[in-house]
Amino acid sequence: MAGPLYSIPGTTPSAASADPPPAQPPVADGARTVAAVLAQTQAGAVMDELERDLVGLAPVKARIREIAALLVIDKLRLNLGLSAASPSLHMSFVGNPGTGKTTVALRMATILHRLGYIRKGHLVAVTRDDLVGQYIGHTAPKTKEVLKKAMGGVLFIDEAYYLYRPENERDYGQEAIEILLQVMENQRDDLVVILAGYKDRMETFFQSNPGMRSRIAHHVDFPDYQAADLLQIADKMLAQQHYHFGPGARAAFVEYLERRLTQPQFANARSVRNALERARLRQASRLFGDQERELTADDLTTISEADIRASRVFQDAAAAPKK
Amino acid sequence: MAASTDTANQGLITDKKKRYSAGVLKYRQMGYWDADYVPKDTDTICLFRITPQDGVDPIEAAAAVAGESSTATWTVVWTDRLTACDSYRAKAFKVEAVPNNPGQYFAWVAYDIVLFEEGSISNMTASLIGNVFSFKPLKAARLEDIRIPVAYVKTFKGPPTGLIVERERLDKFGRPLLGATTKPKLGLSARNYGRVIYEGLKGGLDFMKDDENINSQPFMHWRDRFLYVMDGVNKAAAATGEVKGSYLNVTGATMEDVYERAEFAKELGSVVIMLDLVLGWAAIQSMSNWCRKNDMILHMHRAGHGTYTRQKNHGVSFRVMTKWLRLAGVDHLHAGTAVGKLEGDPMTVQGYYNCCRDSYTRQDLSRGLFFDQDWVDMRKVMPVASGGIHAGQMHQLLDLFGDDVVLQFGGGTIGHPAGIQAGAVANRVALECMVKARNEGKDIKNEGPQILRDAARTCTPLKQALDTWGDISFNYASTDTSDYAVTPAMSN
Amino acid sequence: MMTNPTGRVTQGQFSFLPDLTDAEIVLQVEYGLSKGYAWSVEYTDDAHPRNTYWEMYGMPMFDLKDAAGVMTELAACRATFPEHYIRLMAFDSTRGIESVAMSFIVNRPSKEPGFGLVRMEGRNREIRYTVHSYATDRPENERGGQ
Repeated sequence: MAGPLYSIPGTTPSAASADPPPAQPPVADGARTVAAVLAQTQAGAVMDELERDLVGLAPVKARIREIAALLVIDKLRLNLGLSAASPSLHMSFVGNPGTGKTTVALRMATILHRLGYIRKGHLVAVTRDDLVGQYIGHTAPKTKEVLKKAMGGVLFIDEAYYLYRPENERDYGQEAIEILLQVMENQRDDLVVILAGYKDRMETFFQSNPGMRSRIAHHVDFPDYQAADLLQIADKMLAQQHYHFGPGARAAFVEYLERRLTQPQFANARSVRNALERARLRQASRLFGDQERELTADDLTTISEADIRASRVFQDAAAAPKK
Repeated sequence: MAASTDTANQGLITDKKKRYSAGVLKYRQMGYWDADYVPKDTDTICLFRITPQDGVDPIEAAAAVAGESSTATWTVVWTDRLTACDSYRAKAFKVEAVPNNPGQYFAWVAYDIVLFEEGSISNMTASLIGNVFSFKPLKAARLEDIRIPVAYVKTFKGPPTGLIVERERLDKFGRPLLGATTKPKLGLSARNYGRVIYEGLKGGLDFMKDDENINSQPFMHWRDRFLYVMDGVNKAAAATGEVKGSYLNVTGATMEDVYERAEFAKELGSVVIMLDLVLGWAAIQSMSNWCRKNDMILHMHRAGHGTYTRQKNHGVSFRVMTKWLRLAGVDHLHAGTAVGKLEGDPMTVQGYYNCCRDSYTRQDLSRGLFFDQDWVDMRKVMPVASGGIHAGQMHQLLDLFGDDVVLQFGGGTIGHPAGIQAGAVANRVALECMVKARNEGKDIKNEGPQILRDAARTCTPLKQALDTWGDISFNYASTDTSDYAVTPAMSN
Repeated sequence: MMTNPTGRVTQGQFSFLPDLTDAEIVLQVEYGLSKGYAWSVEYTDDAHPRNTYWEMYGMPMFDLKDAAGVMTELAACRATFPEHYIRLMAFDSTRGIESVAMSFIVNRPSKEPGFGLVRMEGRNREIRYTVHSYATDRPENERGGQ
């Protein structure tokens, strides 16, 4: 019998892998200076945007710069053949609500993508409900599905400590944590995990889950905003929606902030957004009441002092001393 | 509206007494020209290329086309007045000189939906390409394109299987299908014929094919052919683990013959039968119904189309044929290769492919498509590229036509120096390496020849194929090209 | 060993090429993701040409951005079923398509048992054909390369 017409070269995958294409395209290959890496990857532009667009947050910005610096230097070391192990990039973002954790996480994803540490640069934000199931055998597929969607990007787990419920030893959260840990350790090239939440609760969570703590390379503290920062944030938010403070309104808002800051459940930027939403509602009702009046662009874009002062924060404060 | 005040519609006779007195009138006077006419959504719109006899006014010629393809006769008849004749008249509403072709004009004509029987291509063609094409005042006429209204499209069932279901049935996805026509066309005994089928399919082809003129001649009767072919098909399926098929040509002298042959093909378990275009519209639509009833793929060989599609000044464009055949209901349609031995410039051929495969065909003058055409979920036809193509052109074929096409390498399989199986291997390896490279993001149009040479280093049959045919190309100027863009002939 | 020129089952897009490396599989998966397809991992011990429904190794994966998720599932499936056929399939949900858009084999048994052709002769020279999977000669729970 004659020999085979055609025998498929290589019978195992390893034999055929003579020239495999790179799974991750090289980034800033051959760069020798920090400037070259920043320019070639355009990571510098993202950091500048972060600096420009985000009010306050000086310590956060400094931490992000430090992390970026580490990654850029790693890149330069790699280009000279000095470093081989891929760095652990999992992070925890701790701070009160409304301090910019999600916003910064989004920027972080872009920076990591520009520098070539993640392939796609998207962010998948989840909470316990997205990861943990209701019955036996439900949690693993749920967690894996989320992980698969996040691969190539950043998985942002808000209020991560809810995954761990020590009071219930059969809680399925533990299963999710174990799957997370495995992927965080073995598939560092495939995704970066950011855990977020209140500082104190996160501390407790890490104490009970040392495995998790040891896999987090970078801890970033998000402090509360100062009143001046919040005012600036308010200005930006209004400008984005084509509104502005009328005479006396800005001063009223400063007073509002001072009072609101001392009250419970203050959520920083989120509370500012909510306060402005309510002011817009009051402005609309005010204009709606005067049906015959011709409304100018100025009328439609101005938040008046009255719109601010009608807030319950002022009424409660006025009522309080009487008690 | 008084005729004298409207230059565009000049000549229209609105006075009923004058209009219907016995005698001969110009077509435009009879109401077959209306420059202000806005076609309804339910109208069929035809674009004719007309060459009027010397001295015949193009607008009158266009009106004559509208008249002769709808209600008119050469003289006034009083019986018109027994009908709602204004709505039955086709209306020419636009005439334009063809760019760079003195003496030729494009004429747009709209037809009311009442004019055509539901679900009948025979009836539609009897009007649109009937008497009008022999009409003396025209030197030549060609039906360039047609917009078929959704309401009329929905009176047809369309392809019995369609390319999506065909792929599911064959379990073949994400790549063009491969076929070959058994050669020589005539003379093989059934036993020898089946050998070619078996070798081609076992070697890696998805389909083999009867040629258009293989019916039931003295050297091979149809029943004998079917029996031997199906033994080859099933043996190859077992040897490869793939579903295989061979287009059994059921064309015959009478419909009784055609049905008998189709029934036998079904009994033997064939997944596909084949018809020749020359059987005619009624036979095609009947067999489409039969295929729908029997879960059979219907392969249409366009034998004969060149007699009326090829010359640019007279006949019917193949894009119109494609639209009619999709409505009539075929699953495979030979639609040109652009790079092979048969007529067709690349852009124009892509236009035919669009009509086969689109859910909604967009106007695209450079591809010869004059109208938008909504196919309203009608199944899609799998185009077939066949005739003088070989493995060395794989990158061009994939680049031009994408995945949804059957590439037929007849000579390029059976003529392989190392045998039919080797020919099939060469084609399959060329195809798979090109699909892989394209998906990996490579520029196959330019890197194609290198990709093939690389694959040939570990595949002797492909190397032999490239050595044998690598330089063959058919670079002749096409006769049927778009009037709106320069389309260079395809070269290696 | 099968007798066709490749010596193996030739289903799927790339059966005539050398087995794709993981890096090459990633490129195909990325191509599918860029077209918006959902990938799925399926396995079987019986690659009969009409065996449409291979076992699903989990649900099709929707909304993935990166091939790593698919590769994770594939690695797990290979570890569980090293001697089975495994294929990746991509689904296109576009109206008018709504079917499989890509399909290729990424794991094979070390010895592919192949198929036999059974002929049943009838009247008038007619023959009924059946393709028989040698893999199914043993009971279902004893199969799969154990």
